[in-house]
This record gives sequence, C-alpha cells and structure tokens, in this order.
Amino acid sequence: MNETWRFADVPTPTPGVEWIQMSEDNRMGLVRSTLATSPVRGNSLLVLLAAQQDGHVVFQFTESVGPERRGTILLDVEELLKKAIDPGLFVSLEPLGDRNSLRNLRGIEVKS
Amino acid sequence: MNTAVQTREGALILDSHKLSYHIDRVNEWEAGERIAPVSVDMALTRACGAMCSFCYAMMQESQARSSINTSHALHLLDDFAEIGIRSVSLVSDGESTLAKSYVPFIQHAKKLGLDVANGTNAWEWEPEKIEQVLPCLTWVRFTVATGRPESYAREMYKGPEYTYVFDRAMSHIRYAVELKCRKQLPVTLGIQMVLMPYLKDEIIPFAKLGVDLGVDYAVIKHCSDDEQHTLGIDYSQYESMYDLLKQAETMSTDQTKVIVKWDKIRDGDKPSYRRCYGPQFLLQISGSGLVAPSGVFFNARHSKLHIGNFTEERFKSIWKSDRYWRAMHYLASPAFNAETMMGTLPIQHYVNVALDNHAKGIARIKPGVGGKPLHMNFL
Repeated sequence: MNETWRFADVPTPTPGVEWIQMSEDNRMGLVRSTLATSPVRGNSLLVLLAAQQDGHVVFQFTESVGPERRGTILLDVEELLKKAIDPGLFVSLEPLGDRNSLRNLRGIEVKS
Repeated sequence: MNTAVQTREGALILDSHKLSYHIDRVNEWEAGERIAPVSVDMALTRACGAMCSFCYAMMQESQARSSINTSHALHLLDDFAEIGIRSVSLVSDGESTLAKSYVPFIQHAKKLGLDVANGTNAWEWEPEKIEQVLPCLTWVRFTVATGRPESYAREMYKGPEYTYVFDRAMSHIRYAVELKCRKQLPVTLGIQMVLMPYLKDEIIPFAKLGVDLGVDYAVIKHCSDDEQHTLGIDYSQYESMYDLLKQAETMSTDQTKVIVKWDKIRDGDKPSYRRCYGPQFLLQISGSGLVAPSGVFFNARHSKLHIGNFTEERFKSIWKSDRYWRAMHYLASPAFNAETMMGTLPIQHYVNVALDNHAKGIARIKPGVGGKPLHMNFL
C-alpha cells in the first residue's frame, strides 16, 4: 500500500499556544535565530518578511533563484522551522502580481 | 462514473474523472511507485490578448517567463512519450495559439501517439491554423464568457463596445464546426462559460449560443479563486442559480449537449480532501516553462513547490528528480492542507476527490466497464 495514504485524514498541525501568544517581533526573532544557528543550504538568500500568528512565515529571496533550487531551499527551511520551533509553521514567498499589461487594466491585485 | 453525457459520438465525461480507464497507473501509485502522469495540461506561452474577468492566470505569475521555442516544445513532447504520458492539453495559463510552436507542437504530439487537445478564445485561430491542427486534435474547448456580444466583450475584453472580438471568435468556431463536419474529423468541439455569480442572466443566452453554433457541447463551470480570495468569488451564491442551470440543461439537442459541472459548483471552496494526490496523475506546466504540481502553485508565493523549468532542463530529468517527488510527497503529507493552502477547484479536483476516497477506503477506483468514454486519456 502507498505509504502516504496513512496521512489522508491526518489534520494539518496548527501553531501551539506559545507561538500564538508571542509578539510578531518575538516570532520574527525566533525564526531568524533558528536559521542563524541551524543554517540550511541557501537560507542566506532569504529575507524574513513576516511570521504570522497562524504559522505562516513569509520570505523573500535577495537574488534570483531558479525553480530547480528555490523549492528545495524553502522546503528545507520549512522542515527546520517545524522541527525547531513549531510543527504548525509553513513558509511561502511574497506573491507576484500579473505581468500581463492588458489584464492589469481590470485592476485586480493578487492579495498577500 | 455516473456523470457521462451521451452524445452522438459517445459518452462524454466532463463532470467527473476517468481514472477507471487508467487502472494500471492507479495500481502503480497504490504500490508506491513513481508514476508518470497520465495527462499534462500546459501552455506554450503566458501571453494572452484577452482580459477575462474570471482569468485564474492573473494569480499565476512566477518569478520569470522563459521563452518557449519550438525546439523546447518538441523535446518536451519527446520526453512525454518516452516516460509514458498519454495526453497533453494546451490550456493552463496562456493562450497557446499565439505561440510560434503551436502548430508544430500539436502535429508532433499526434505523430508521437499522444492525444492532444486545446482550450482557446479562438481569436487568433484563423482558418489556416484550424486546417493545420484540427485533424490532430481530440477536443477543442472555446472560452466563451457569455452568449451575447456586448457582455462577451465586457467580460473578455476592454468593454461592451468591442464586439468585434465576439464576431471574430464566433466566425472561427463556426469554421471549425463546418470543417469537422465536412471532413468527418473525430474531434469534439465545445464552448465553456466560466460562471461568475453576477453573470446569471447570461446562462440561458450562453446555452442558446451553443445550440446555434452547433458545437458538441456547451459547458458551464464554476470560477476558481486563489486561497486569498483575490477574485472575491462568493460560492454561496451559486445555489441561487440552480434552477437557471437546470433550465439551460433542458435546452440540449441531439447535436449540442448543455452540461453543468454540478460537482464542482456544489463543492465550491470546501474540498472533501486534505491531501492532494491528483498532480501525480494530472500535472500542470506553466506557459513560463515552470513545472509545478498544479497551476494553483505557479505563483511565486508557492515557490516551495516549484520544481524546474523545462526550457532549462529536460522534462524527463525533472520528472526523475528527487525535487519532483519531494513536491508530490509534500502534497500527500500532513504539512499540506488543501482546504487552506491552495486555490479552489483546481483542474485536478475530480482526480483529487477520487484518489482521496480511494486512499480512505470510501470508494475504491474500479476498472471501467463497457465502452470507453470519449477523451479517455484526458483525466
């Protein structure tokens, strides 16, 4: 049987009380210090933008990183944060808006 | 598998999946093997000359738009055939008819034995192009926002006065219908309305237009939105349109079936699944060249699920890579929550539901019985 099936009905972890009750500054500090003390390959290319109460940790790359590398870097970072801080954390990058100039006339902005 | 619509050419399944006809691949997946997708949905460019109000491509911008040349496109098809992919559709996040590689891509796919299909607004799909590709295509689905010129131009272009885009599209669709009939081509032609809740008055005119065009079907589907609700779709409003949708279905004729994607409309933004197994069977590739499990992950926001770019690395290498399988396994792990971490109703939705029900033992996927449905290789 497919090994992954056992997770089919497992709830996704959400952040614990400690993370939720922490201030945004303290959450940011904790993420930064964790990355500094347990660096994963490529994390020096990341700038932390937000560490939200719901566990969403948002980064930006400092330089262009190809798709063959950026997925690995971010999944490694997420694994680290889940293990070291709270299993309810998950990472993403800042979203990008549409570059199609015609469609942009609609005035729809991708929400962060 | 009870949602097939009988057409003059066979059973048409639009509001379900066709995994039962790929049970070999389901069994391999069940055994934990690294399977090739049955189908790939992709685009040859991110460009598009339309500005549809419901376009999910607005939320699919990744870091870079690589230029896909004909050589990239044909090598991609060679790789698809080599690893066992069975079909490819040109829909995804761009208007592929604008790409120089469009005609050679379709002709090469056919030559390799891959089923190939296309979703298009038909604006740049002139008779010469139609003649070159229609004999190779399994289906063509035209995006037709509404059934009336003014509202069509308002929803798909700059405003209601630009009705020439409607006229142009209809002229090309009619040409394809006539060519199919004249040459007796085994291709299914359909029009599709992406139903925004405020477009309910357009449901009946759309159904009438489908019948008038003589296409094989006119399908009405939900509108997808991203997990941040960028388009602001209120899925609770669809229920108030059920009577109109049922009325539209009664307008079906022998030639043209009016079909509503009830399952997706009813599921709305509340998927029954937590995990997302579908991309292993139905992969999406962006018109930027980006390979990611699904179109709902193309945006830079979802970079952790970006795997590679086929203009920089052969697809077969990407598919064999640990990166590919790490992304697929992430979607099958508790770290991923389909309810909150992806856009609504992705192209893999029906497949996600079926595989999830299979994994949970709710409903096992069984081999298809009886005749094979149309477009069997498009999940």
